[in-house]
Amino acid sequence: MSDMFEKLAQAVIDGEPEDAVALATEALDQGLDPLDCITKGLTKGIQKVGELFASGEYYLPELIIGADAMKDALEILEPALVGDQKRDVVATVVLGTVQGDLHEIGKTLVGTMLTANGFRVKDIGVDQPASAFVEAVKEVDATIIGASALLTTTMLQQEKLIQALDEAGLRQKVKVMVGGAPVTDEFAKRIGADGYAEDAISAVNLAYRLADAPV
Amino acid sequence: MSTSQTIITPIKTDLKLNCLTDEQLSQLQEATLQILETVGVKFPSDKAMAIFEEHGAQVDRETQIVRIPRELVMQAMSTVPRYFTLGARNPELDLQLQDGVTFFTNDGCGHDVVDSKTGERRASTKADVGMMARINDYLSSMSFSWTMVSAQDCGVTSPLHEIDITWRNNTKHYQSVTMMGEEICRYGVEMATVLRGSIEEVRQRPPISLIVCSIAPLVQDKEAIEGALVLGEAGIPIVVMSMPTMGTTAPATYAGALAVGDAEVISATVLMQLANPGAPVFHSILHAWADPRTAAYVGYPLDSRARYAPVEMAHHWGMPALGGAFGTESPELDSWQSAAEVATDPLLVGLAGAEIVTGIGLRDSYTLLYPEAIILDDDLLHQARYSLLNMEVSPETLAIDVISKVQPGGHFLSQKHTRKHMRTAMVRGVCHQLDSEGKYRHPVEYAREKVTWILKNHHPETPSAEVQKEINRILETADKELKG
Repeated sequence: MSDMFEKLAQAVIDGEPEDAVALATEALDQGLDPLDCITKGLTKGIQKVGELFASGEYYLPELIIGADAMKDALEILEPALVGDQKRDVVATVVLGTVQGDLHEIGKTLVGTMLTANGFRVKDIGVDQPASAFVEAVKEVDATIIGASALLTTTMLQQEKLIQALDEAGLRQKVKVMVGGAPVTDEFAKRIGADGYAEDAISAVNLAYRLADAPV
Repeated sequence: MSTSQTIITPIKTDLKLNCLTDEQLSQLQEATLQILETVGVKFPSDKAMAIFEEHGAQVDRETQIVRIPRELVMQAMSTVPRYFTLGARNPELDLQLQDGVTFFTNDGCGHDVVDSKTGERRASTKADVGMMARINDYLSSMSFSWTMVSAQDCGVTSPLHEIDITWRNNTKHYQSVTMMGEEICRYGVEMATVLRGSIEEVRQRPPISLIVCSIAPLVQDKEAIEGALVLGEAGIPIVVMSMPTMGTTAPATYAGALAVGDAEVISATVLMQLANPGAPVFHSILHAWADPRTAAYVGYPLDSRARYAPVEMAHHWGMPALGGAFGTESPELDSWQSAAEVATDPLLVGLAGAEIVTGIGLRDSYTLLYPEAIILDDDLLHQARYSLLNMEVSPETLAIDVISKVQPGGHFLSQKHTRKHMRTAMVRGVCHQLDSEGKYRHPVEYAREKVTWILKNHHPETPSAEVQKEINRILETADKELKG
C-alpha cells in the first residue's frame, strides 16, 4: 500500500503525468483511499519538487511538469473522494487573464506555482470579463483572485474587476492580487488591489500572505 | 589536489574576416621589403650585427643600422614555421597551433594592483603573479598563461621568479613578458630543461615562450634581441611585437604605421631564422594612436579599422600571429568605457584568425590589475566564442512535433523536450547570476566571489619536490650572480 503512495510521489517528482494518471487509476482499482493517495502520495511528491526547485536543482520545466502530473492524477482521485472528504488546501484561487488580453504563460506559471504550493487553483483562462471572475469565485468559493494583464490597454480591466466584485458584494470576502509586465506595486495600490507580484515565485509568497497562512 | 578544471575552450570557427585584399597585402609586404633594403633597422647588438654580416646583409657598425637585401629576407622567411606546439606543464593542455583556432590568455606586465577588499592601490608582487596564475589555471577561456603583473619585489631576477611562481600555480603553457638579456634567458632555458628533463624535450614541447618588443620606429632592443637568440637556439618560441604609434613613432596613416611595425617584426624574425633556421616565431603588431593635441597614447579611438589587419599580414608572411585585445584605457573596473572599448575585440580577433591572443583582465592601458576584472573580461570572450559556434539544425532541435503538440496560444514549459533542453539553452554570464530571491546580482559582486572561490578551492598540481628543489637552486644562483 505504502509502495503505491511512494510510486505516486515519484511520478510527480520525475514529472511523468502519464504514469501519475495510470497509478491513480490503479490505486482506485486496488481500493485505496483516494484522500490517502493525495496526501501521502501526490502532496509528498509536489513538496519534494518544490524543495528541489528552491534549492536550484530543478528548473522551471521540472516544476511545471511535476505540477502537471499532480493535476492530472487529481482529476482521477478528487471525484472519487466520498462524503465530506476534502483535500487540505491553503486557499482556493481563481486565476485568469483579463478581458481583451490573450497572454497566457505568466498566469499559467503562477497557477502551477500555487498548485505546487498547496493552493487549489481554478484557472478560467484568457480574455475573461470581470463577470467571469465573479462567477468563478461563487462557483468554487474562492478567497483569492489572481488577475493578469500584459498590456497597458488591458491593465485597466483589473480596476474594473475590483469594481465588479464590489458591486457583487464579494469585495470583503475575496482578496485580489494583480500582475503582468506593465503592472506595478503603485498601480495595484491605486486601483485598490490587495497586492502585486512581479513574478510567479513572489506571487506564491503574496498568496500565502493574503490567505493569512504561514509561508 | 583539485582537478576541477582541466579543459580549455579556445575560439573555434570556420569563418574568416578579410580586411585586406591580396593586392593590399602584397603592397604592404613590398613596403616592408623596401624599408628593410633601403632604410634599414637599427640592431644595437654586436652579436646580431655579426650574424647579419655573416649572411651578406649590409651592416653599418657605426650607426648599427642593418640593411637586408630582399633575397636574404625571403630566404630567411622560408624557414619560419607556420604552425608549432606550445607545450604545457600538463600534456593534455599542450596547444597545437592550427587554422581556425584562437587561443587566449590574460593581459601582461601590469605594475599596480587594486586590492578587492581594501580598495588600496599598490605595486605588484610575486604573490600577485601566483594568484593570477592560479585564476588563469581555473578558467577554461585561458588557454595559456602570461605574466599578468610583474614581481616587483624580486629585483632584476623577477622574470625567473615569475616563472617559478607561475609553475607552482598553473599547469598551462607560460609565456613570459619580462625575460630580457642573455643571462636571464639562459637561466630560463635551464629552468625549462629541469622541468622537462632534457633540452630535447624542451624543443619538442617548449613549456615556456617569450614576447619581446621592438622600439618604434625601426629599432631593436639589444637585451630583447640577444635574449630571444638564446631561446631560439633552444627551440623556445618567441613573439616579436611592434607597437608603432601613429603620428609620433610611425606615420599617421594606417598603412604607413603597419609598414613600420612589419619591418620591425620581420627584421627580428629574419635574424632569428639566420641564427637558428626553423626557430618558432610569432608576428605581432599592436599599433596605437597619438592624440593630435596632447600626444597621449590612445588605444581605442572611434576609427580603429586596422586593429586586426596585422593578423592577415602575419599569415601572408607564413607566420602565426599574436593579436592584442582588451586594452581598455579606463582605469575603472566596471565603467561603461572599460567594457565598451573592448567588447568587439574577441569576436574580431577570432574572425581574423589570430593563433594566440592576449589582453584579458587589466585596466588603464595594460597597467592596472583588479583581480576580479579577469572574470568580467572572460565573459566577453565567451560571448564571442558562443557567437562563432555552429548552430545545430536537426529534427531534435527543430522540434516540429513539440510545436504541433503545443498548438497556437499554448506554452512549451510543460513539454519534456523543454525539460531536456532548457537547462543548457541559456548560458548564464556574469550579468545573469541569480540571488536567493531570483533577482540578478551585480556582476562585480559575482566576479569578486568567484575569484575568492577559485583561490580557496582550486589548487593545481605543483612541480615535483625534486624539480622544485632544482628550480630553487637555479633561483638562488641567479639571485647571487645577477643581484651582485
